[in-house]
Amino acid sequence: MNIGTIGHVDHGKTTLTAAITKVLSERGGAKFTDYAEIDKAPEEKARGITINSSHVEYETDNRHYGHIDCPGHADYIKNMITGAAQMDGGIIVVSATDGQMPQTREHLLLARQIGVKKLVVFINKVDVITDPEMLELVDMEMRDLLTTYNFDGENTPVIMGSALSALEGKNPEIGVDKINELVKACDEWLDLPPRDLEKPFILSIEDVFTVPGRGTVVVGRAERGVCRKGDEVEILGYGTKLKTTLTGIEMFHKELERAEAGDNMGALLRGIKKEQIRRGQVIIAPGSMKSVKKFQAQLYILTKDEGGRYTPFMQHYRPQLFLRTADITIGLSWPEGTADADDKMVMPGDNVEMVCSPVHDVALEPGMRFTLREGGKTVGTGIVTKVLEYV
Amino acid sequence: MDEGGRKQELKRRQEDFAVSANQFEARSLETFDASATTMFKTRAATFLPSFRLYSTSQPTKPSIKLVAELRKLTEVSLSKAREALVASNNDVDAALKWLQEDLEVSGAKKAAKLEGRTTNEGLIGMSVLSSGVGSRTGRGSGGVRAAMVELNCETDFVARNDLFGKLLADIAHTAAYISEPADSVNLLKPCSLELLQEAPLLSQNGEQAETQSTVASAIRELVTKVGEKISLRRAATVVQDPLPRELGLRVASYSHGSVNIPSQGRIGALALIALKSPKLAELLASEPFREELIKLERSLARQIVGFSTTTIQSAAGATDEGALYQQPFMMYPDSNGDSVQATIRRWAEERGLREAGEVESGLEVLEFAKWTVGEPLESS
Repeated sequence: MNIGTIGHVDHGKTTLTAAITKVLSERGGAKFTDYAEIDKAPEEKARGITINSSHVEYETDNRHYGHIDCPGHADYIKNMITGAAQMDGGIIVVSATDGQMPQTREHLLLARQIGVKKLVVFINKVDVITDPEMLELVDMEMRDLLTTYNFDGENTPVIMGSALSALEGKNPEIGVDKINELVKACDEWLDLPPRDLEKPFILSIEDVFTVPGRGTVVVGRAERGVCRKGDEVEILGYGTKLKTTLTGIEMFHKELERAEAGDNMGALLRGIKKEQIRRGQVIIAPGSMKSVKKFQAQLYILTKDEGGRYTPFMQHYRPQLFLRTADITIGLSWPEGTADADDKMVMPGDNVEMVCSPVHDVALEPGMRFTLREGGKTVGTGIVTKVLEYV
Repeated sequence: MDEGGRKQELKRRQEDFAVSANQFEARSLETFDASATTMFKTRAATFLPSFRLYSTSQPTKPSIKLVAELRKLTEVSLSKAREALVASNNDVDAALKWLQEDLEVSGAKKAAKLEGRTTNEGLIGMSVLSSGVGSRTGRGSGGVRAAMVELNCETDFVARNDLFGKLLADIAHTAAYISEPADSVNLLKPCSLELLQEAPLLSQNGEQAETQSTVASAIRELVTKVGEKISLRRAATVVQDPLPRELGLRVASYSHGSVNIPSQGRIGALALIALKSPKLAELLASEPFREELIKLERSLARQIVGFSTTTIQSAAGATDEGALYQQPFMMYPDSNGDSVQATIRRWAEERGLREAGEVESGLEVLEFAKWTVGEPLESS
């Protein structure tokens, strides 16, 4: 799973990351990455989009973590939209000398926005604090603030230590021990995202054929989940909602009993005519998804250097939505209640939250990613944040 | 005496003891502080850090509740709140006063510590006090008074914070307020940063609570709160008294990428628009005309921000993407794909601002300034 550190520039995010790799490298779970190496935050390209972020990886007894650290709000948002490093949890770093700061609110709002449900708090620099009551206050204030922003403030683990001590190998009781405690808290408190195999089945239809004597076969890739021969399935999208049975699964010209996420498969459907289905629809486990007419999404609009548009656009702009194999024209507009909606423009390089209205309904859920294209080039990429209207 | 009564009595005695102990400590602290101050005066400032450390390890216990309260009131850092309470003997009002005085010193110190850092984030804020001819509000109705200011910080987290936005709005307001009419060729002129830094900060919504603070001290105060370097990068103002009857000046503004306050964003533009017509006063009296004018101005400002606009008119014969007048006016809904120049000419004719074929009257963009946060400055 991926976690990230969020916090004020001077509160020791980078030192903490370095300390974690150091402590875990002693157990053989990581490669020690020192401060200077992490602090560089190199420019990366993900799906052609430039993001500033640094990555390290480490392993605890139970889990493998990818750890990211970005310098700014915009970089975290880009990471989320492109899926380059979706954060499943976060460590929020606060210095014991300063406590939470005005911008800590912005940090928590960001975590909410990028879909992080649980955080672990690390109160750093306790080595320079002499009064334990002060630490209690930092703890209390952080819990209050977490609760204000809809996190579980009461049960969130708060670990107090000194990343610097851990890095320098001094005072193990506030150094190394606390880093171990932090890692343990991450293991126990942060939830693993469900694996693709455990999610309900989706197959996005790429092509449809009629095989004489057998019936209609659709070809596509199983996006997630597992299907078995004889399963009840539902076909959704483009005004269609059909129930049928999966009478056969075929891969590489072999009949199979079962297919799973990642497989490119052919599926034989009972009682369906070729004309009834088309590319862009999905085959799903019945009832696991609904078709959507209107949704809200967080979008990143590519700059011209990234191959995107040269000019800004206003609401009612109509690019093509590419979601899995679906290709649908959509209209973009500002969410209801936006001030001066007719006056607001979107410029290349912007992160915006907009309402998308596809001309055909399409099966989707929050968290799904898509791209926006126009005239054969990608102009934006987005992630569904909220469904506004089902069919 | 029953059990409960005894307990109460015991508790009261403990409290009494605590109070007297506090008083005792406060006294000793006063003397300590006095000597420390004299020491501070005679010794170099390098002594200060160790003094600070020493003072926090004093036995005086600031109440945790009060520290929390003080933090709620001022958003200063934890150690600072604690220090203030120690110095003021757990009196919140006195601590607030102490903080006010201390912010000058510690703000400057913090700012010096952060000096070497780069500030590439931030916002551009605009304040239009009077948008020019036809406006009924603001000072010297009919004149133009506006300012644009760039305030930088280190991360976009701070730039998104309310405190930062409010400070920027106040600074922009101050810049617009204090500027004098220009006697130079350009109406839109840079505002001296030294002058602005020393100016008393005027609150944009008229609350005059912090009259003593200057722009510079308000910036230092925010530096101590957010712990990031904050710098005032540039400011420009336009101030012009009303012109003779048939001439009018208007100022249009647009900011892109605002977070909380609509007049602030990552890109901002101020544009000066001139109107000239014998019928100007008559036209401006009509409400629909003023509304249409504002719509056109917004579109012009948006066009400047949205496209890579560098000049108003390209050199004769040359085609320049950066020339505003030659760009297709995409940001005006009724432009029908025409260029900015053609659209505003047509607009002026259709609205009776200018007779067909006449050259003297009409509407023109005189000057504009477009800023992007963190962009390299032209060497002046």
